[in-house]
Amino acid sequence: MMDSAALQKAHGSALAAAGRLRLPLRSRSWKGQAGEFAGSGTGSSLDFQDHRSYMPGDDPRHINWQAYARTGSYTMKLFREEVRPVVDLVADVSESMFFEPSKAARTAELFYFICESCAAAGATVAITLVRGEAALPLDPSLVGSHLWWEQVRKLSPADAAAPPDLAKVPLRANAIRVFLSDLLFEADPEPMLRHLTQRHGDVVILSPWLIAEADPDWDGNYDFLDPERGLREAHRIEPATLRRYREAYQNHFALWKTAARRHHAAFARIPCADDLATVLFREAVPARALETIT
Amino acid sequence: MPVFGNPLGLLALLGIPVVLAIHFLQRKAKELPVSTLFLLERTRREAAGGRNFERLLPSIPLWMQLLGILLLAWLLAEPRYEKPASVQRVALVMDSSASMSVFDETMRERLGSILPKLQGHASALEIVALDAVPDQPRIYTGTSTDELLEAFREWRPRGGPVDPSTSLRLARSLVSGEGTVLYVTDTPDLAAPPFDALRLAVGTPVENVGFTGVSFTREEGALIWRALVRNHGETAASRTWSIVTDRGRSEPRPLELAAGSLVTVQAAFPADAEHVRIVLSTDKFPWDDVLPLVAPAPKPLNFFAGTSPRFESLAAKLAASFDAAEETADAASADVFVSSYNPLDPVLPEGSALVFVEDETRTGAWLKGGIVAESHPLMSGLNWQSLLARETIQLERMENDQVLLWQDQRPLILLRENSGARQLLFNFDPTLSNIDKQPAFVVLVHRFVEGIREAKIAPVVENLETGQAIRLRSAPGSELVFQATDPAGKSISWTDPRRAPDQPCFLEIKQVDTTLLRAAAHFGDPREADLTDCGDENPELGGSRAALERQTKPDPLWRVWILLLLLSLLIAWKYSAPRQPTIEPAA
Repeated sequence: MMDSAALQKAHGSALAAAGRLRLPLRSRSWKGQAGEFAGSGTGSSLDFQDHRSYMPGDDPRHINWQAYARTGSYTMKLFREEVRPVVDLVADVSESMFFEPSKAARTAELFYFICESCAAAGATVAITLVRGEAALPLDPSLVGSHLWWEQVRKLSPADAAAPPDLAKVPLRANAIRVFLSDLLFEADPEPMLRHLTQRHGDVVILSPWLIAEADPDWDGNYDFLDPERGLREAHRIEPATLRRYREAYQNHFALWKTAARRHHAAFARIPCADDLATVLFREAVPARALETIT
Repeated sequence: MPVFGNPLGLLALLGIPVVLAIHFLQRKAKELPVSTLFLLERTRREAAGGRNFERLLPSIPLWMQLLGILLLAWLLAEPRYEKPASVQRVALVMDSSASMSVFDETMRERLGSILPKLQGHASALEIVALDAVPDQPRIYTGTSTDELLEAFREWRPRGGPVDPSTSLRLARSLVSGEGTVLYVTDTPDLAAPPFDALRLAVGTPVENVGFTGVSFTREEGALIWRALVRNHGETAASRTWSIVTDRGRSEPRPLELAAGSLVTVQAAFPADAEHVRIVLSTDKFPWDDVLPLVAPAPKPLNFFAGTSPRFESLAAKLAASFDAAEETADAASADVFVSSYNPLDPVLPEGSALVFVEDETRTGAWLKGGIVAESHPLMSGLNWQSLLARETIQLERMENDQVLLWQDQRPLILLRENSGARQLLFNFDPTLSNIDKQPAFVVLVHRFVEGIREAKIAPVVENLETGQAIRLRSAPGSELVFQATDPAGKSISWTDPRRAPDQPCFLEIKQVDTTLLRAAAHFGDPREADLTDCGDENPELGGSRAALERQTKPDPLWRVWILLLLLSLLIAWKYSAPRQPTIEPAA
């Protein structure tokens, strides 16, 4: 579990990364409240968009008088609207996200990064913590004070190892849905992604991972402890077993990757080693899960 | 079915539990929290059985190690297969001492069970059974165990203790170094039998009471027999004894014997009975429970004293000391003369005689010098060193005289043998010496006289022991007729009149109309009657390496097993060696 010092350290790393990277807010058009990003409709921004004939009810301030002088017909000058992006953050806070210190730190860094990135872009963020079938909306104001960690600890699902129940997560239309999860649960990614992309949502999946999970050096007999269920299982790990495990691991994430491509979701696996900004530049930007701030 | 040349090699199978133990001990060594248990469970195969077995299934090194142990055990055990037409020769040397008769049934049972083991892995068995007494005929020669056991029903062990070495040597030569020689006896021994023989002891300690001997005396004109009864056992015993004659049986009389004790029973020999049996109540060893007796009557010896008056006293003493000797006045019918030699009348008797020099001067000096006895049966074991004799006149010495005793260069006693007559010549005057105080003198004279009695052809009635040699003089030219009956009067087989039958009996030897010998033979070997040392001993039937190699052939696939063993070890090593991670995580 993380203490306040670790949370502050993670917050610091996230702030540094958020100064250089942000969610792909610019790569899409937005609808909604006025803000800093170009909306899909016409607005009052300075960005010229198009011309069209005047129709009754149009704002006469946007009549192109120079065109009227040349043509004698009313022509409307349309400008792009500037709106505030909408981001829904679904944070998986199951035990597997925090059971190893480096992975816990990376999870917290990504959580802080998304929140701080949205805040910097003026996006409205709705955060939902999920663990098993339990879901808990989180007030974004609790993020900066690190009190969100208290909320995490309050989540007590009946089956902690169950996949997140995204049906309980309120998703807003036209929002970027950021799913922060290590995806280490037994579930078909297809329905989950279908759910995340509903109502014109754009999905970004940030998945922290450990080298110890992807390529363990197990050999011999082990009593494996499941941190989510608290179970103990004995296994004999032979080279053949290890090889099959690695294949299963790769297949699991290949399945997620394929499903993400099918649903036009940006899928980036974030290793827990190295500095956050470095790994985000290396993994998330090429996957178009993040974009650089110009 | 294979046989194993080195069964100890199967101990390598103990490596299996060791490997399994190591395997499971390794299992308990590491405890690890892991977040990808659901992925790990995908890798698990279908379990065939319980939890532990499930974990064993995917372990290639374990299976290879177990296979390696099995192959190693197989190779170390040296599996061999039976060779067709192989023969195992077995020679049995049977202890023919009388005590073996007690364990006759046990002996057949034990042999019946041990002979198949002696056959080993050979396809056929050749058996030869010999008596431990070398000159006895073979008991059996053949290939059938059943026929051998049947032959033992006709075999009667009745002898005394016997040294089996000669028969064991013969048996070893019969079966050569590759065969098995088994000495079958009833008494175990710490020392191994010679000639690489095995020993099978089939006895058990048995309490036995029996007659060990008999003697006769005459008291007040009556012939008294005295029999010794011994309890050979280690606990007190109660018996009864009675006298059986042709007329009937006496009332049984109780007899209490402490452990190891000797008791004498005696009675007057029935005057009108020819054959008498003293019978003890029976036990497991029956041969010493009956004592057949006849009234002994040695050959009579006629004694003629032809001496000067100085030797009359000595002659009378000698005549009185001889058993069944009668003094006769007819020199022609005398068997033994006692004569003195006077140089004034130097005529010696022609027949067998005891001759003493008579020196009337009595002035000779004491003889000096070492006294040396010649090696002769008459002088065997006699001590003459305390003899003191004076120098006297000497007998005229003949060419064929044999000096029996010397003092320095002077012969003191001579033996003269001439045309069937034997004369014992004392070449000094006994009355001028202390010879009458010498035990050696008495023994010498008795040996001499008994030799004459033995050479005499005359009827004799004796009590013998079973198997005792019979020294019988018969007239040449006529055949001997001999017969024997057991104590109950039933005729028994008796083939060699030079030796008494080997079981208690009455016997008779006749020549023409003269009964030369009438005798009773009783069992008189207390060594065989003592069955407390009998016991059980099984031979170590490990089988010789040479016999195994001769009867079987090695596993023709042993090279394949060695290659498989190496392969299994290589595979186990390959899968056990630690590996570096080579798979990149999925992006």
